[in-house]
Amino acid sequence: MIDAHLLISGVIFGLSLGGIFFLMTVGLSLCFGLMRVISLDQMLHYALGGYVTYTVGLLTGHFWLGVLAAIATGAIAGFVVERAVFLRIHDREITFSMITSFGILIGGVGIIKLIWGLAPRPVPEPISAQINLFQTDVPAYRLLIVAIALAVYSGIWLFLHRTIVGKAICAGIEDAKHVEGLGINIYRLFSITFVIAGALSALAGGLYAPLIMVDPQMGLEVLAFAFMIVIIGGLGSIKGTLVSAFLIGQVVSLGSLTYAPLAQMAPFAIMLLILTFRPSGLFGIPLKR
Amino acid sequence: MSAVRWWASLALPFALLALLRVFLPLPFAIEVVLVSIYTIGCSFLFGRVGLISFGQPAYLAVGAYAAAFYFTDFGSNPYIGILIGCAAGAVASLLIGPIFVRLRSDYFALVNLALAVIIYFLMQKALAPLTNGDNGMWFLTSLEPTPLLDLTRPDHFFVFALLVGFLVWAFYKYLDGSIYGACCLGTKINEDKLTFLGYDNFSIRLMAFVIANTTTALAGALYAVYLGFVSPEITSPTRAVDPVVVAILGGAGTLFGPIVGAVAYTGMKDVLSRIFGNWELFIGFLLVVIMLSGEQGIWGTLEPQLKKLIMRKLP
Repeated sequence: MIDAHLLISGVIFGLSLGGIFFLMTVGLSLCFGLMRVISLDQMLHYALGGYVTYTVGLLTGHFWLGVLAAIATGAIAGFVVERAVFLRIHDREITFSMITSFGILIGGVGIIKLIWGLAPRPVPEPISAQINLFQTDVPAYRLLIVAIALAVYSGIWLFLHRTIVGKAICAGIEDAKHVEGLGINIYRLFSITFVIAGALSALAGGLYAPLIMVDPQMGLEVLAFAFMIVIIGGLGSIKGTLVSAFLIGQVVSLGSLTYAPLAQMAPFAIMLLILTFRPSGLFGIPLKR
Repeated sequence: MSAVRWWASLALPFALLALLRVFLPLPFAIEVVLVSIYTIGCSFLFGRVGLISFGQPAYLAVGAYAAAFYFTDFGSNPYIGILIGCAAGAVASLLIGPIFVRLRSDYFALVNLALAVIIYFLMQKALAPLTNGDNGMWFLTSLEPTPLLDLTRPDHFFVFALLVGFLVWAFYKYLDGSIYGACCLGTKINEDKLTFLGYDNFSIRLMAFVIANTTTALAGALYAVYLGFVSPEITSPTRAVDPVVVAILGGAGTLFGPIVGAVAYTGMKDVLSRIFGNWELFIGFLLVVIMLSGEQGIWGTLEPQLKKLIMRKLP
């Protein structure tokens, strides 16, 4: 049996991982729901966020300033990508957008290599305090990540259900043509969604940067996990993304405590199991092929 | 007459490929042929059946590792190793096919990529006692020289790869012209109509999945014999997109697109990485440009014009 202290720190580790996963994939899920595109360039914004946090944090000495700069960069990058590429292809097949955004991701990794070089860079941890929880010392920073993820989830929920723009986006997820027929500028909604998605992905990269080292491949490394999370949760569902992000976070964390190779395999087994019974994920929108 | 023309149109590209050997160094020529064989499965699945797979390295690894296990533990004949790699690919895709081809096309792509990642970790970590983890399995010296075409020699291997490629392309050309090929296109364009005609979409897709991935596993086994070692690197997630890029670069679904794409991709990778050392940048944005300009690819754009040219010459 696992030691209780180890178990608690494992659960906290899993929760913080889940929080990062949620921030990283919620943009993917939102964009799919509204525009029926799979925007793999979110992983690029994620890597970009990590790097901007590193650079601005190094220049100014303030980590949180770096995170703010990362959010701004992610929002701008999301806007540019949407205007330059997705606007032209949002009415094409889903696989089409997937390949195109994969191209953006690969090209973006090339740009990152060009600017920052190949070597991984360390980012100093902003909060090194430990909090005593159930007689176990846990890093306060990891708890903060969980709190931020939950705050973002409630923020998105409030935005989608309590503001008029959010309600329009919600309606657009149900039926974009109808919303357009009501006289709402749907292209503006697309841009807003992409800006939000890019900002959140960059936030994930910025927050995760102190826990790992930023390196050019970081977007590609999490790609498989991002895929699994959106598949398990169901593309287009924010709630599903939250549930599956925390589920995968726990599976990876607790799995690596028991048997290390299991941590990488177990999410795949779970995904296969869920897809066998529910081909469109836990909370997914049923859609014809 | 038509049979002659059928074979002649197939032989011409391979004659050109063989000509490559005269002008360019041997490793480059071999790489082009192997990448072509690797890509045809992906191109067929995407262009003809409408299933896009980001996980082709998974099946490449299945073929390569099956051959590698044979070479290290059981025997040393390269031909049998290649056959075993093919068989492993067929068995693996028959086992996972029924689960995968039920999925929507976008989920299909994602699930395949996940499979590639799993096989990567399986070979790197979980099965490390058998596969030596990142160090890979080495068996170059234990390969037995064979009479006639000695696969342990690179120049003979090139001839063999070319022959295999020719047979693979003959098979795919036959498929394109057959009723089954028409059914594949049908399941891509309108699956309801195909159901009304009395065909089963599921079994058509499953068969295409098995055919394409067996070809990919064949490429994996060829890689294993050629390089003489296999490491988890061949299924690394960062290389998952290679076959998709090559297929689209050449023109997905066209018969000779993968060959054109392989020449262009391998050439660019070689030249650009020598000049800039940063070729992802170009490949990535080239992919975006091709997709935005009508996703026809190089061969998909050239083919109709070549046809027009030839038709004018031959009344």
